[in-house]
Amino acid sequence: MSILQYFRLMDTMARMALRADAAKYFLGYIWWILEPLLFVAVFYVVFELILDSGRADFLVFLMCGKLVFIWFSKSVNQAANSITANKGLIGRINVTKTLFPLAVIQEGMYRQITVFLLLFCFLAFKGYPPTQAWFYLLPVIFVNYLMIVACSYIGACLVCVMRDFSMVISLSMTFLMFTSGVFWDARALGDPQKTELVLAVNPLAFIIDAYRQVLLHAAAPDWLHLLQIACGAIVLLVVVVAVMRKSSQFLALRTLS
Amino acid sequence: MSAGMGEPMLALDKVSLSYPSRRQSFDHGSHHVLDSLSLKLYEGETLGIIGRNGVGKSTLLRLMAGILAPTSGKVRQRPGKTSSLLTIGLGFRPDLSGRDNAMLAAMLQGASARQARGYLEEIKEFSELGDSFEERVKTYSSGMLARLGFTTALKTHVDILLIDEVLSVGDAQFREKAEEAMKSRISGEQTVVFVSHMEGQVRDICSRAICLHKGSILAEGDPVDVLKAYGAILREPR
Repeated sequence: MSILQYFRLMDTMARMALRADAAKYFLGYIWWILEPLLFVAVFYVVFELILDSGRADFLVFLMCGKLVFIWFSKSVNQAANSITANKGLIGRINVTKTLFPLAVIQEGMYRQITVFLLLFCFLAFKGYPPTQAWFYLLPVIFVNYLMIVACSYIGACLVCVMRDFSMVISLSMTFLMFTSGVFWDARALGDPQKTELVLAVNPLAFIIDAYRQVLLHAAAPDWLHLLQIACGAIVLLVVVVAVMRKSSQFLALRTLS
Repeated sequence: MSAGMGEPMLALDKVSLSYPSRRQSFDHGSHHVLDSLSLKLYEGETLGIIGRNGVGKSTLLRLMAGILAPTSGKVRQRPGKTSSLLTIGLGFRPDLSGRDNAMLAAMLQGASARQARGYLEEIKEFSELGDSFEERVKTYSSGMLARLGFTTALKTHVDILLIDEVLSVGDAQFREKAEEAMKSRISGEQTVVFVSHMEGQVRDICSRAICLHKGSILAEGDPVDVLKAYGAILREPR
């Protein structure tokens, strides 16, 4: 299979899954935006109306964080289970196992494009019109995507080897939601050293913060830090793809037995 | 018939396979399925595999398809040849329609999107699925799944078609049609490996047969002779 065919096939799988998913529900494609918005609504009720965040811009602040986080967590969660979920195809044709996580990620990307468009419209409506700084989003989104792919591939291999990792990954996502500054501001911790530590240790916290810097403050992200995360993700990806190619039959055995 | 002539399509050389046992608390070590088995498959032949349940027939097919790798020994397939395995209950995404599944299967075998789309009407017609072709595969009966799987593999021009019991579940009328289609391709380039418990089917369709017993080949050659050997072990106590 050529590279081009591989990507065509991956994209076809993603589109089919989207169509099948939409056909399942009465509200169909509306769920693409309804689901993340409901999440935002719940968080808004808890952290603004009940706990009183004390921020005037809490809603836009929350949306920037939560909508980015959902993209990451949902993609990684689903992609990590995608090899075992495609047992049927894997038991029938010898196929590169990287195909399945990538198709799930692609599916998530189509949804996320809609979600981002919605976010941009909402920001404009709330008094944050598009500026030239928004071009900074392109590298931020790209690095975010690399992080998703790297984490998904590693997760997918782990779940293949031991199904229990599916639970671990899903728990990790909850853990990450609390630690990545989704509903709190990593820059408002009072102690600059603590802020630095949070952003340095957790790439997801850095990425979420980068989105906010660009969208809400029209400021450039920390390029060096972004580059470091990109390089880290690429190195991980190269290694895990090599492992997956080499152990394709082993992964099939673990999936089927 | 080209059996026995030229370069084999696929050669298994002293292939062994053992699974690590899953529940280690109950059963330490590994489970040996195939033991130093050698076999050659030639272009255009229809090879039948018979043997008792749990003797390693399905595993052998998976090795031939390149889905699993042997623990030791070598599997050599002629480069550029595609193979597809048909197994009951496997091979489909239940949430997608028959049409989408057929399209995916064709593309997985290397067809472009346009080529794959070109196969679809033919698949719909031959499989006799009618309107069900657009329904989710989740709703299919095992016979319908067998029809879709067999037709998809047949019409998307897989070089080596590995069939695991699939044709025992379809109804008699479709089975005949499928057997007919395979027979008409025996003289062509379609290579088929066929696992079946139906002795008549093996005798009618296969040009050669092997009988698997305890992880290795007990008898090999003319289907009639191999079926006799199989009959003998069936009478043995386990």
